[in-house]
Parts: sequence; C-alpha cells; structure tokens
Amino acid sequence: MEQELAALTERLAALESSTAMSGTINSEIFYWWCTALMIAIHAGFLAYEMGASRVKNVLASGIKNILAFAFMVPTFYFFGWYIYLSFYNGLLPAEDASGLPWELSMGPNLADNATGIFWAAFTLFAATTASIFSGAVIERIQTAGFLILAILLGSVVWILGGAWGWHPTGWLTVKFGYHDVGAAGVVHMVAGFFALGVLLNLGPRVGKFNADGSANAIMAHNVPFTITGLMLIIVGFFGFLGGCIIYMPGEQWINIYGQPTTLSAFAFNTLMGMAGGIIGAWVKTRDPFWMMSGALIGIFAAASGLDVYYPPVAFALGTFGGFVVPMVATQLEKMGIDDAVGAFPVHGVGGLIGVVSCGIFAAGYPNVDGMPPVTLWGQIVGAVTMAVLGFVPGYVASYILKVLGLLRVPDHIQEKGLDIVKVPVAAYPESYTPAPVNTATPDAAATPAE
Amino acid sequence: MNTSPIESWDGAEAYFTFADKPAIMMLFLLIAVVITFGTIIIAAVHEKHAYNNH
Repeated sequence: MEQELAALTERLAALESSTAMSGTINSEIFYWWCTALMIAIHAGFLAYEMGASRVKNVLASGIKNILAFAFMVPTFYFFGWYIYLSFYNGLLPAEDASGLPWELSMGPNLADNATGIFWAAFTLFAATTASIFSGAVIERIQTAGFLILAILLGSVVWILGGAWGWHPTGWLTVKFGYHDVGAAGVVHMVAGFFALGVLLNLGPRVGKFNADGSANAIMAHNVPFTITGLMLIIVGFFGFLGGCIIYMPGEQWINIYGQPTTLSAFAFNTLMGMAGGIIGAWVKTRDPFWMMSGALIGIFAAASGLDVYYPPVAFALGTFGGFVVPMVATQLEKMGIDDAVGAFPVHGVGGLIGVVSCGIFAAGYPNVDGMPPVTLWGQIVGAVTMAVLGFVPGYVASYILKVLGLLRVPDHIQEKGLDIVKVPVAAYPESYTPAPVNTATPDAAATPAE
Repeated sequence: MNTSPIESWDGAEAYFTFADKPAIMMLFLLIAVVITFGTIIIAAVHEKHAYNNH
C-alpha cells in the first residue's frame, strides 16, 4: 500500500511538473505569435507611408520606415527594456532595477522562458511608436535626424511612459489608479504628441502651403496601397492588443495592472470600437483614407477600457472618435502644420479620447493590492503626463537637430525628389508616372491619415 | 576557441556564448553599440555628400 502511495505521489509530481511546463511553453507560444502579428503593423505603416508619398519619394519613405524597425531592436535591447523594468517610480531607477543587456536573462537561458519573449513583444510596441512618428514626417526629414528621433521615441520616451502607466507598479497606477490597458496613452498619445513637437521644427513639405497660408493637397501616389496598409495595421493590432494582457498558466488572464480579464473582453471591444470608428469617419468625410484611419481611431478611443466596457460603449466611443478626429486634422492644417499622414490627430487625439473617456465610462472599477480605483481625475493626470512626455522631448530634440543641420532635407532636394538623390534603385523603372499636381485641399477631404 | 559556458545540458541555465566570460560579453555589446550608432553618423555624412552633389 505504501509503495503504491509513493508511486502515485511520484506520478502526481511528474504530472504537475509536466502541466506547469506546458503552461510555460504555451505562454511563450502566445507571445511569439503576438509578436509576429505585430510585424504586420510595421508592414502596414510601410505600405501606407510609401503609398502616401509621391512617386519621387516612394523608396526613401520606405527606407526610413524599414530603418526605424531595424534600429528599434538593438536600442531597445541596449536600454529600452532596462527603462521599462527600472523607472516605474519616475526619473530615477528603482532599487530592484533590472533589464541591463549584460544580465544572464538577456540571452538564451533554460531557467528563463519569459524575458526574451516579453522583450520581443515590447520591442515591437516600440517599433509601432516609431512608425506612428515616421509617417508624419515623410518626404522632408533627413535619415540620420529621423533615426535619432525614432530611437529617442521608441527606446526611451514611450517606454518611460510605459514604466509609469503601463506597469504593475508604475507611479501613475499606484498613486492615481491610471487605467490604460490598450495603451491609448502610453503608445498613441506619446507618439502623436512627439510627432507634433517634431513637426513644429521640421516645417511643411515644399509646396504644401501657399504664400497666403492656404494649403495644397499633396496627393498620395498609390491610394489602394495606403488603404491596404491601413487594413494591415488593423490585423497587427490584434497581436498588439493580445500582447497587452498577461497569460497566467493555469489561471485566468490578467491585464498589465494585475486585474483579471479575458481575451473575449478584448475581442468584443476592439471590434466594436473599430467598427464605430469606420462609421464615424465615413459619416464625416466619405473618404476611404479616413474610414480606415477611423478604424484605428475607434480602437484607440476604446483602448484604455477594452477590458471592462460594455461593447456598445466601445462602439459609441469609436464612432465619436472617427467623427471628430478628421476635424482636428483639418484644423491642424489651417494652423500651418503639415502632418503628412495625420499622426497627431489619429494617435495623439484618438489616444486622448481613449484615456479621458475611460475616466468617465469606467470610473469606479476597483484596482488590486490597495491601489486606487479608476477615476476621471486619475485619467486626466495620466493624459497630461503622456502629452507632456511625448511633446517636450520631440520638440527639444528636433530643435537641437535643426540647429545642427540634421533635421530637414534642403528645399531644392525636396523639389528634385529624395529617391533620385539618395536611393540607388528606382521604384517604377519600366513606367513613367508623372508627379501629381498640387491642388487646393477640398473642404471635406483633408490629408490622408493613419 | 571554446565559446560554450556549459559542458553538459544537465542543470544548464544561461547557456549563450560567452555567458561565463563577462569581458567578452561586454566586448561584443560594445561592438553592437558602435555598429548601431556609428551607422547613424555614416548616414549623416552620406546624406550631406548626396545633397552637396545635387
């Protein structure tokens, strides 16, 4: 009898060990595929940026976007991951700081199945922020200046915001109950406001504005490519949002703050917000660029509370965002700011709607470990923090680059076209496609947006 | 050159190349940093030349 009991105990222990290892590997697999899907975001931005560029700048825009992806990976390895894990209290590293590139967890390690896969997912979040910024500055930014700014945004600024407001013990959550499960603030607001800060120093593309301040529409050279790119971004966002929640082997999912949630919650509200955004933008503009941008806006407008909203709330927020944001883009253009793909309106303002509306429609949801519940005040504090965190570094860094002559492509080069100056191959060598003629911007159709 | 930090898979944890040689790890890290930021400097120089030639 005792022998049988001992054998049974041994088999039970082996079964527990096997189940635990299966859970660990399932978790790795989940984030592996989330990361792979997120590459579709970058592919989508690449397609959109190239499509939105004129023929003479197509490949230069593509090169810029590809390089943003490439430089995010090593720089996020060098210091991005360290910032996330160590700066959750503010601007100084915590006592338990970790994530430095010479730690034994930062490479193949049989005792650590988590670090590499989470680092990869966060690196792709970083690439997303860099891509958001990348589209705004097409056709007139120097490559070196762009890379410096992209690294600053992707491997320093947004991840600092992530440490503050998208971390189990980030100070915004601990002190204010800040809730932003889908990263409306820490990714989209930060990237959108960073882009705005850069645009003020970069200036518009040659030919965008007339001497009297009126705007010209600089037409995308390939409209179907831009729309397809935007749809590809939506596909990638299912990887992005999947990567926003934490797989707990043998237990219920939790969000980034440790609160229980489900993938089903994200499925309901992501799709409802997206659909609302398309409809809102369609009603306002009838423009397919804005309809697909509206899909993104709708997701961002619902992103902070994706885990708790009643789905029709996400739909209403998406519709509101899709309707309102195109008007912001028009206003921005009237102010003389050339945001080539609408990065600030779509991501900055769309994210702002998401963060603040969570304080209205998700107020009172409890937190864990004694942290404050969701409040409107906490969300406003978070929104202001993300706006400042994005705008100030973008403005200051781009101003320094401008002084150093590393920011803007000279006007005569812009007129000639960047591809013929910097790229050794032609985009369309077997056909001649004339550059679009600038025309006045129609009232109902502002700049195409992401 | 033996780059492996382990002699057996039994009980192995950090098994990447040079995991037991911090100085060499730091050397490769430094090389990666130089490649990353050095190419940005090269890009700036290349761009200036390109603009000046047009």
